[in-house]
Amino acid sequence: MLDQPPDPVAARRTNPERSFSHEVKSLRLGAGETFRGEGVLAVTKAILQAGVGYVGGYQGAPMSHLVDVLVEAQDLLDELGVHLETCTNEASAAALLGASINYPVRGCVTWKSIVGTNVAADALSNLASPGVIGGALIVVGEDYGEGASIIQERAHAFALKSSVWLLDPRPNLPTIVRLTEEAFELSEASNTPVMMELRIRACHVTGEFPAKDNRPPSVSRNRRLAEPAAYNYDRISHPPSTYIHEKLKVEVRQPAAERFIVERGLNELLPGTRQDLGIVVQGGIANVLMRGLDRLGLADDDGAGSIPTLVLNVTHPLSSDQIADFCRGKRAVLVVEEGAPDYIEQSIHAILRKRGIDTTLHGKDMLAMAGEYTAELVTDGLLKFFARNANDIDLSGPRTRFEAARAGRAEAQRLLGRPLPLRPPGFCTGCPERPVFSAIKLLEREVGKVHISSDIGCHSFATLAPFNLGNSILGYGMSLAAAGAVAPVMERRTISVMGDGGFWHNGLLSGVSSALFNRGDRVLVVMQNGYTSATGAQFIPNTEGNRRDGQNTSDIAATLQAMGVKWLRTVRTYDVGLTLRTLREAMTTKERGLKVIVADGECQLARQRRIRPQIAAQLKAGERVVRTRYGVDDDVCTGDHSCIRLSGCPSLVVKPSPDPLRSDPVAHVNNGCVGCGLCGEVADAAVLCPSFYKADIVRNPTWWDRLKWRLRSTVIGALARA
Amino acid sequence: MSRPVTLLIGALGGDGGGVLCDWIVEAAQARGLGVQATQIPGVAQRTGATTYYLEVMPQPGARPRVLALNPAIGEVDVALASELLEAGRMIFNGFVTPDRTVLIASTHRVLAIAERSAMGDGAFDTGKLLRAVKERSKAQILFDMDQAAEESGGVLNAVLLGALAGSGRLPIPDEAYEAAIRASGKSVDSNLAGFAFGRAHARGELDQAVRQHRKRQAEAAGVEDLTARARTALPAAALDTIEEGVRRLAAYQDRRYAALYLDRLDALAAVSADAALLREVGRHLAVRMSFEDAIRVAQAKAAPDRMARIRAEVRAGADEPIEVTEHFKPGIEELCALLPPAPARAIVGWAERTGRLGRVFFPMRLRTTTVSGYLRVRLLAGLRWWRPRTWRYAEEQAEIERWLGAIRSAAARSPALALEIAECARLVKGYGDTLKRGLANWRRIEAELVAPALAGTLSPQAAIDAIASARVAALADPDGETLTRTLASAAQRLGGAGAVRHAAE
Repeated sequence: MLDQPPDPVAARRTNPERSFSHEVKSLRLGAGETFRGEGVLAVTKAILQAGVGYVGGYQGAPMSHLVDVLVEAQDLLDELGVHLETCTNEASAAALLGASINYPVRGCVTWKSIVGTNVAADALSNLASPGVIGGALIVVGEDYGEGASIIQERAHAFALKSSVWLLDPRPNLPTIVRLTEEAFELSEASNTPVMMELRIRACHVTGEFPAKDNRPPSVSRNRRLAEPAAYNYDRISHPPSTYIHEKLKVEVRQPAAERFIVERGLNELLPGTRQDLGIVVQGGIANVLMRGLDRLGLADDDGAGSIPTLVLNVTHPLSSDQIADFCRGKRAVLVVEEGAPDYIEQSIHAILRKRGIDTTLHGKDMLAMAGEYTAELVTDGLLKFFARNANDIDLSGPRTRFEAARAGRAEAQRLLGRPLPLRPPGFCTGCPERPVFSAIKLLEREVGKVHISSDIGCHSFATLAPFNLGNSILGYGMSLAAAGAVAPVMERRTISVMGDGGFWHNGLLSGVSSALFNRGDRVLVVMQNGYTSATGAQFIPNTEGNRRDGQNTSDIAATLQAMGVKWLRTVRTYDVGLTLRTLREAMTTKERGLKVIVADGECQLARQRRIRPQIAAQLKAGERVVRTRYGVDDDVCTGDHSCIRLSGCPSLVVKPSPDPLRSDPVAHVNNGCVGCGLCGEVADAAVLCPSFYKADIVRNPTWWDRLKWRLRSTVIGALARA
Repeated sequence: MSRPVTLLIGALGGDGGGVLCDWIVEAAQARGLGVQATQIPGVAQRTGATTYYLEVMPQPGARPRVLALNPAIGEVDVALASELLEAGRMIFNGFVTPDRTVLIASTHRVLAIAERSAMGDGAFDTGKLLRAVKERSKAQILFDMDQAAEESGGVLNAVLLGALAGSGRLPIPDEAYEAAIRASGKSVDSNLAGFAFGRAHARGELDQAVRQHRKRQAEAAGVEDLTARARTALPAAALDTIEEGVRRLAAYQDRRYAALYLDRLDALAAVSADAALLREVGRHLAVRMSFEDAIRVAQAKAAPDRMARIRAEVRAGADEPIEVTEHFKPGIEELCALLPPAPARAIVGWAERTGRLGRVFFPMRLRTTTVSGYLRVRLLAGLRWWRPRTWRYAEEQAEIERWLGAIRSAAARSPALALEIAECARLVKGYGDTLKRGLANWRRIEAELVAPALAGTLSPQAAIDAIASARVAALADPDGETLTRTLASAAQRLGGAGAVRHAAE
């Protein structure tokens, strides 16, 4: 049974990204102890303290660690009776919350937003409509602003349209933990799922809070229910129940939520001396605002501010009374709300207008309409707000300092002359996916440019330098579907690239089955590296050895065959020649229909983590180990760097030419090389140059190795001098 | 209200920025200092830039209203960069300022992909970076921490932590940092060594030896008379290069060939005594005359000192045998290059007609650490006596003469124009497709700019500018698109000057 604790063999197979043993220890802290760690881990601890009964999620920065850490905390989960589901996509995670519709059990699921919320949307709507009786919490990593890897949209929209409550806690650990715990109660008090968004910096913020004991859930794997819930059509999201649900949302659940929010003081009112002014801010960016006020000298020595501030740790629903009470009697209020559209600002406008309150409301007219609210942007907006509404406050000092910092930056940029080269993410050293794109580059030399439909995953780095391959990205697992209407209008076949993560997440059904059903004449390359590598090498259905029982789960090629794919090839990616021939065949064969190439090669990061300790142990035991790496003869290299343009390997770098007569730097393989052999393969397949050599270093050599070596060296030495 | 000390860290994936951040947090907590850190970690891949931001209270027990998660321009007290361009980035973004910021940075460069994939030298100007570093920060602690890490056996982040400790900017004693390193439990000894090194360096207790890029000089005895001849006939300012050229060509071919080199330079010297021109032509001519054919590659692969160099580069231990495998893949052209011109042309012509040219190759993996493998390379290298009879030799000499002819006739009019033409030799390099592409680019520049300049239909100054920008354009992308655009716009600008219109290939 899959929901049973894993056997000891399987338990050794854990996430290879990193070990979380230290983090797991902090999850066991009890009352009287102090928790220290990151925001994500604090949330993980808080849900255990709140007596969560089941946890699920789909990996994605910045929230991956919640599930990753719990995967390693299986012993603790077993003691508490908490069920953990590592879902294969966000829709499956959202549907998990269905348990809380009928049963008094608390559940928490997590994913990356906005993308994960999009995928989960169907289940979310169907969850929010009947509502829940057990607290349901969705923790979304709001991947927004600097360091984000996805489309810039707000999870807020989903909260509004589905009537899910949205928490946006002030990013310090005590507040995050308190809100997490209260979220379950809010959910139960209003029969509504609650979403909590944490931005990238909040997920990684360090801090401490007083721990409490973990609470075993009252209904759990360890305390099972004897009977299923009684039949109740009201809990089915079908008409006519759905008409009743819609009414319940606005007439019962939202008022209950507003009462809870105000009574429990979930939003924070920071007092200030200037009663004629006010600021309303999302909790998540309250720190940026408060530091901005400090910078302008608008905080007193004891740390209290002079501008009354309403910190919205809950951004939906807004309590109309709370907002009206805060704004009433003030000359002007500034809304500090990050991202577009300005949902909160619009709501506050509506609340004030309906109640006839004539306070001037500013927001995105003074702050930016779109984009991250950085320290600079908020300071700029505050200066504008006070200049317009409170010119009695002397801000000339801070304004001068602020202008000077901006002028200094302009001066620095002038000194540097031009923008600095960017460091886009790229494939790791030895990545098994890189050779496929080297082969596609070479293919394009023969057949001409090809429409490449890209996907989400490490392979999307091929859309960046040096490959610059890719015409569109339509979402996770969508690359094959996204070529559906391109292929019919194109002379050459299209190539869709998909990772194995994307394949199981969505690509199998949205892409493969639809392409087969519509007899699409397209090429699909599935990168089979064994993990969702871009999110930290989590396990997926084709990972060798399921974490629960050590057995294999699903095989991609077998699945494709079963679905009816006729043209199917599997290549080892490092063989660039074979990959190129296979791609060429797929592009030119007379055979019509879907052609799938499974490009196989284990994620090199995961592989290195796996084999490094093994090799160290072998070396320690005195066993013979051959280490392979590549090199460049710097007097044969002429400094054209074709090899770098066809690979971009981080360990393939340039260094000054040792030749006093040549000025162009030459290629060089640094010690990061893991000996994957791609540079040699590419030099070979592209007929580049004879500079590359492969060196096999024999460690702990046998007497035979040594003898051979000595004999050869002697003869060769003599020949060289001859 | 006491203000926190603010720290911004810029690192590359894999530099251990996260661990560095953890060490600082732990050391601060151990001292009872309020501290908060956060990060923009980038993706799981070990590439790309990562940033970390920390705020540390200056006294134990001090509690501010908030600790911020975002750095603000002009409000960073300490900036740490694990690489020089990343230091430049923090300056560019306005976080490092001369009134406030102590900048602690490694001076080594890890080139970004755009810098590496350029067809020539694409590295960002280090001089500009260093100037910005000096002028735009309050104080600097700068040294090559990559080298320091390697020498101390540690990782760069430990050296950076040591430098932070040495700066004395945080109220944290060394023991607290060392305890944090010990508590993390990984590579403790080497990290402590790296820490000690970084700290000592920051306190000015040791100077770092500057790493030398040792240049190998072509060795060839018995050319003293030729170098003496160069000294009497050619300007002194050009001699270092020219003597290197003489030595190289004697080793590449023979004394006679080295003498031909000097003859060619003498012919130019008769037209212009410009030392800068002779130096540059001497440099490029030596490279062009030592063109890369199979014999030259074999010479390099069979060089007596090569194996020691490889052993050092791949870090093979003293008693560890190595096997070296070479990747060769000559095509019909490369093999014919070794035949006399007539049969070579016949075969290449046939291969071209039958579509075999550029399609048929003879891949071979040769192990030069075995006796038989080495012997084959050595025998090929021994064929250099035959080289002057080969097709490739004849072709190269003709190309060189044409190029020199253009330089000579330009030199009579304008040494600067001659220099520009000479510089175009940089375009012609490499093997196979690279060589063909370079040669084609040079031919286009020659036909569209050099020829009109020499014919007098284009003024020298206009030609100098146009050739210089065309050369940059030729190195901008491998498909020649930039060159096509540049030549077209030059033709338009110099319209009526005789520039030939050229369709995109």
